[in-house]
Amino acid sequence: MKILMAEDDFASRKFMDNYLSQYGECDVTVDGEEAVDAFMMALEDNEPYDLICLDVMMPVMDGYQVLKAIRDIETQRGISKKKRVKVIMTSALNEERNVKTAFELGCEAYSGKPIDVEKFDKLLKKLELI
Amino acid sequence: MAEELNNDGMLDMFLYESGQLLEKLEGIILEKQDADCFDESDINEIFRIMHTIKGSSGIMMFENITKVTHRLEDVFFYLRESQPDNVPHLELVDKVLDVSDFVNGEMEKIKAGEKTDGDEGPLLKELDDFLAKLKGEIKDQGIPLPKQKKNDEPSQFYIAPVASENSRFFQIVIHYRNDTMMSNLRAYAATFALKEVAEDMLYTPEDIMTNESSADVILAEGFYIILQTKSSAEEVHELVDSTEAENIEITELSAEEYGQKLVEHGRVDAPPAASAKASEPAKEEKKAPAPVVPGDYVVKSKETGKGKTLAKNQPKKQSIISVNVEKMDALMDLIGEIVIAEAVVLQNPDLKVPGLELPNFQKAGAQLSKITTELQEIIMSLRMMPLTNAFQKMKRIVFDVSRKLGKDIEVQVVGENTEVDKNIIEHITDPLMHLVRNSVDHGIEENVEERTSRGKPAKGRITLEAKNEGGKVYISVKDDGKGLSKEKLYEKAYSVGLIGERPITDFTDKEIYSFITLPGFSTKEQVTEYSGRGVGMDVVVKNIQSIGGRLDIESTEGAGSEMTLVIPLTLAIINGIVVQIGSSSFVLETASVKTFMRITSDSIITEPDGEEYIVLRDECYPFVRLNEKYNLKGAGTNVEDGIIVVLEHESRQICILIDKLVQEQEIVVKPIPSYIKRVKGVSGCTQLGDGSIALILDIASLVDNKERRI
Repeated sequence: MKILMAEDDFASRKFMDNYLSQYGECDVTVDGEEAVDAFMMALEDNEPYDLICLDVMMPVMDGYQVLKAIRDIETQRGISKKKRVKVIMTSALNEERNVKTAFELGCEAYSGKPIDVEKFDKLLKKLELI
Repeated sequence: MAEELNNDGMLDMFLYESGQLLEKLEGIILEKQDADCFDESDINEIFRIMHTIKGSSGIMMFENITKVTHRLEDVFFYLRESQPDNVPHLELVDKVLDVSDFVNGEMEKIKAGEKTDGDEGPLLKELDDFLAKLKGEIKDQGIPLPKQKKNDEPSQFYIAPVASENSRFFQIVIHYRNDTMMSNLRAYAATFALKEVAEDMLYTPEDIMTNESSADVILAEGFYIILQTKSSAEEVHELVDSTEAENIEITELSAEEYGQKLVEHGRVDAPPAASAKASEPAKEEKKAPAPVVPGDYVVKSKETGKGKTLAKNQPKKQSIISVNVEKMDALMDLIGEIVIAEAVVLQNPDLKVPGLELPNFQKAGAQLSKITTELQEIIMSLRMMPLTNAFQKMKRIVFDVSRKLGKDIEVQVVGENTEVDKNIIEHITDPLMHLVRNSVDHGIEENVEERTSRGKPAKGRITLEAKNEGGKVYISVKDDGKGLSKEKLYEKAYSVGLIGERPITDFTDKEIYSFITLPGFSTKEQVTEYSGRGVGMDVVVKNIQSIGGRLDIESTEGAGSEMTLVIPLTLAIINGIVVQIGSSSFVLETASVKTFMRITSDSIITEPDGEEYIVLRDECYPFVRLNEKYNLKGAGTNVEDGIIVVLEHESRQICILIDKLVQEQEIVVKPIPSYIKRVKGVSGCTQLGDGSIALILDIASLVDNKERRI
């Protein structure tokens, strides 16, 4: 599968890259804007991503903005709910209101940091990605 | 409930909400345990509770909780849709409680940061069997089975972060040797090494890489780092150590201090002051914090020396804040000190000039007294919590124990809204649990005939009652069981050798009942799972005494017993009367003072053994001369010169002789310092207005002591 990850913190980025690479090709961006660019490029090339992992706190655009942008673009292009890309937010912000906002914006899952890899695996199975 | 909250908001929310729902569930179950079946609204409510927990545990990915609650939800779905008759109610109650216990158990694990590894298999099977039975019943009654309902799997998930051990906080100051070249690079090397272990880090000067002059600052003032990490001080030291470093100071900070430092450095905004309008009605209570909007968490371009930005500042408006209990305790101590300071000011010896009139000062003083009293009341009310939860737990215990022992018992609760200091609730839960178990196990008769033959209803009854009276809280556990048998208690105490050779007539009823609180006493031959080991009642009494309370036992053989915990409402401040004996001051608790009198010496009766009694209005009271007991110099010995005070404790009286009444005032109770050996008859001490120390008389032990000697 094709994975995009946006993460500005080097250590988290390295960890997630290592972890996700076992499931597929993993592209990495360091801020929110780049992530939207990468998502657009993939759509243009007709090779959309299967999974996008977004950090919440990022430079230029934060995770919520990226998520909203992605969903907006998908709606605009008439991509159905079933076919749209799976988005997992990853953040150390785990107040209920943070999570709720992310859910309302339409992410598939929200994973607190540090990431519980075992549950992450289960999640990927539930989302039928692996 | 243990208040060890994780710092995961989402997880806390799940635990809190589910905890509340489970409590509500237990409430419904216990209320309806003896009914023939649940009514429609209960079934709907239980269905809704299970549905909610199923849903939220699904999102949180606690699969075993989801499965179990899902199955029970199914059961209640069938009950709701088909409304069959002849539902085995007791079995159903058991199933619901089993599920509730299972979920509670798993939630405890989550709280403790463990894995939710409870095996749901057996419980699922039980529920499946029950459901199959129920379906059979529904079919037999000719009601069509409802359509299998659609299963709505959650489509969004939340993964809680892996539990991590607590972070520690350090302040590190590195001084480099004066001849160090490019100390800014050394400093950078140190921060770079720390990045490996740092969860958060901040240093000054900040611009070490971009500003060469920072090297001079570092040499002159040292290089400051504050660090959040899981590593120990030694590990940190190792990481930052270098040959150029002349001196490295590492101080561990508390989380609060760390936060303070961050604020000082302008990294985060100071937490908003709590809403100043304390008097504002609580309707704002539920007001949600400002919602998160996309764009709130854009990280501003990173400046050197700044890690990632912490969460956005807290919403400014918040009408409920949770406060660390330690801070509350500190506040309470401080208010105690204020009360003392107030006394020191208002009763300052400098003011005691004969003929000195200070009307304005007196007015100001009265105002001050009023405010300090209000302060005290507020801090007290902050710490008050209703007993509802504690009583609910007791109901559950009665239910469990009575079911296990095969006794039919109903519980009645009176005054569960009585508010008590949180500290006290923590201290009484265990003792109360013990008393309740005892009542169920020992109090209520084993066979119904024994009850009916005495004209009592077949169903046993246990009454839990709480009330607030005269600065004390009374919490009683009453049963209508067989009561305590004085003869049996005496025989047992005698045979165990707890009371020596004294005959039964030597003891009052109360004393005989109090045998059960002696260590190593238990009349029940058979030890059950719940009680009968004879450890317990003595522990109960010890626990209660440790918070200044006592246990009263009343009983009528054949009709039942009542155990009452009497606990002071507040632990720290009492209303007292200051008196003087010789040159020493003593405090008498106002509530225990019955009368002040002047008497003539012919009211005194002296026994041949030297014991003295005072006859007042045809009543005879034991008389204690404190000046002899405590060797007080300069105290008057002639009863006609002094004042007699009659003190009462648990309807037993004693007289003492004092020289002078000083005044009534609020007394801040301080424990007697540990370097003084425990003095009998004195429960604490306090500081008076003139700075002198007064001892607080422990009336209970004075009374006891006197009686023992009779």
